[in-house]
Amino acid sequence: MIPQDVADAIVDPKAYADQARIDGAFKWIRENAPLEQAQPQGFDPFWVVSKHADILEVEKQNDLFHNGDRPTTLMPIEMEKKVRATMGGSPHLVRSLVQMDNPDHMNYRRLTQGWFLPQNLRSREARIREIAKSFVDKMAACGERCDFARDISFLYPLHVIMEVMGVPESDEPRMLKLTQELFGSADPDLNRNARAVTDLDEGLKAIQEVVGDFVAYFNAVTEDRRANPRDDLASVIANGKIDGAPLGFFEAMSYYIIAATAGHDTTSNTTAGGMWALAENPDQFAKLKADRSLIPGFLEESIRWVTPVKHFMRSATADAEVRGQKIAEGDWLMLSYPSGNRDADAFDRPFDFEITRSPNKHVAFGYGAHVCLGQHLGRLEMRALWEELLPRLESVELDGEPRLMQSNFVCGPKSVPIRYKMH
Amino acid sequence: MSDAEPFLVWQCRTCGYIYEEAQGDPLEGLAPGTRWRDVPDNWICPSCGTSKPEFDMVEI
Repeated sequence: MIPQDVADAIVDPKAYADQARIDGAFKWIRENAPLEQAQPQGFDPFWVVSKHADILEVEKQNDLFHNGDRPTTLMPIEMEKKVRATMGGSPHLVRSLVQMDNPDHMNYRRLTQGWFLPQNLRSREARIREIAKSFVDKMAACGERCDFARDISFLYPLHVIMEVMGVPESDEPRMLKLTQELFGSADPDLNRNARAVTDLDEGLKAIQEVVGDFVAYFNAVTEDRRANPRDDLASVIANGKIDGAPLGFFEAMSYYIIAATAGHDTTSNTTAGGMWALAENPDQFAKLKADRSLIPGFLEESIRWVTPVKHFMRSATADAEVRGQKIAEGDWLMLSYPSGNRDADAFDRPFDFEITRSPNKHVAFGYGAHVCLGQHLGRLEMRALWEELLPRLESVELDGEPRLMQSNFVCGPKSVPIRYKMH
Repeated sequence: MSDAEPFLVWQCRTCGYIYEEAQGDPLEGLAPGTRWRDVPDNWICPSCGTSKPEFDMVEI
């Protein structure tokens, strides 16, 4: 069993805002208890899958390790009881691809899979580059200082995904706020009540309200796109059919919600973290400036470095064995992606930011059937931004202390103040 | 298949990873020019672990 203080740290949203604390906790686990059970206060026990190779092992066995039977993200016992009570026995507040197992997962994924493939995205590249360029111009117009997270990286991927979804630009601030209230539900700077969450009922109610607001918004979108289909992702979801029938209401709303949240927040986090890393590593910035062919490697290293999705949970459908540990049917497992991406058995000098790292087989997008659907879009957005920005960015350094969001699920920098020279 | 025939492109059905015969995938031990049929049957997608039969030939 993992010691109590370490177990408590890996579920604590505040720990993820303190890089040294969370890195230290997972380093201890990888070195001393690479696949052991933890029981943080208030939680059911779960196995912590901390090693890169074990994350791959679990993720590729989708029939043995399910997403949907138990909560897919960390959830205290009392909260799970309340969720099940209000959701007809389900432990999930939404039912997106993330909460599905086969055959539903495959059927629902196929609906938009082709849309997200590189050959389809190619037709949108010119427009994405145009948007990227407008944000580079905006950064230049800021003068020599900005908060790169708030002024650029929160807004650019948001604009791209909302445009491809068909959400009007005037609604983007609302979508950003709802996203931050959802993923930042434990962060007093971002959550709906703008204060630390001390009461479980109040915290859950705030999350349910956010989900309710998303549903109200996208229910209207569905009605509109059914009446007036367009060339956007919302029309694909609204008019999609599974086995000849329209998507279930709950599943359709969940599809919109995951696209409208994870579809930009993860890319925003990675972009902000990439700039932070360049500002802290002038040798890497100089190397990248001198050779733009290193941009793809820089992107992959930024994705590994930030790893915006901190975990997903799985549950065993039968007795299993991983790394010699006997996992019983029904056991809950935490796949820790930041831990896998700092695993010294998979990465040389894992705590160094190295844009020429090769190979760089990080698990930030997951692995197996649930691997991130939007990974190619995210990479395309980031490549376009950095290809437009780097030729004009002469220097960059930190202009204050960057701050990380408090969340144990999806998070990254919430503030990256920088000072720079551009032309 | 003779070397004079055009190189083909194969794509993972799960994640979209692209294997181009012309370029191979040296990090996976597949030299440039390695034809799809010469890729070992037990090879899996380096991005998501999908098995070789779950790839489709595509035009890029």
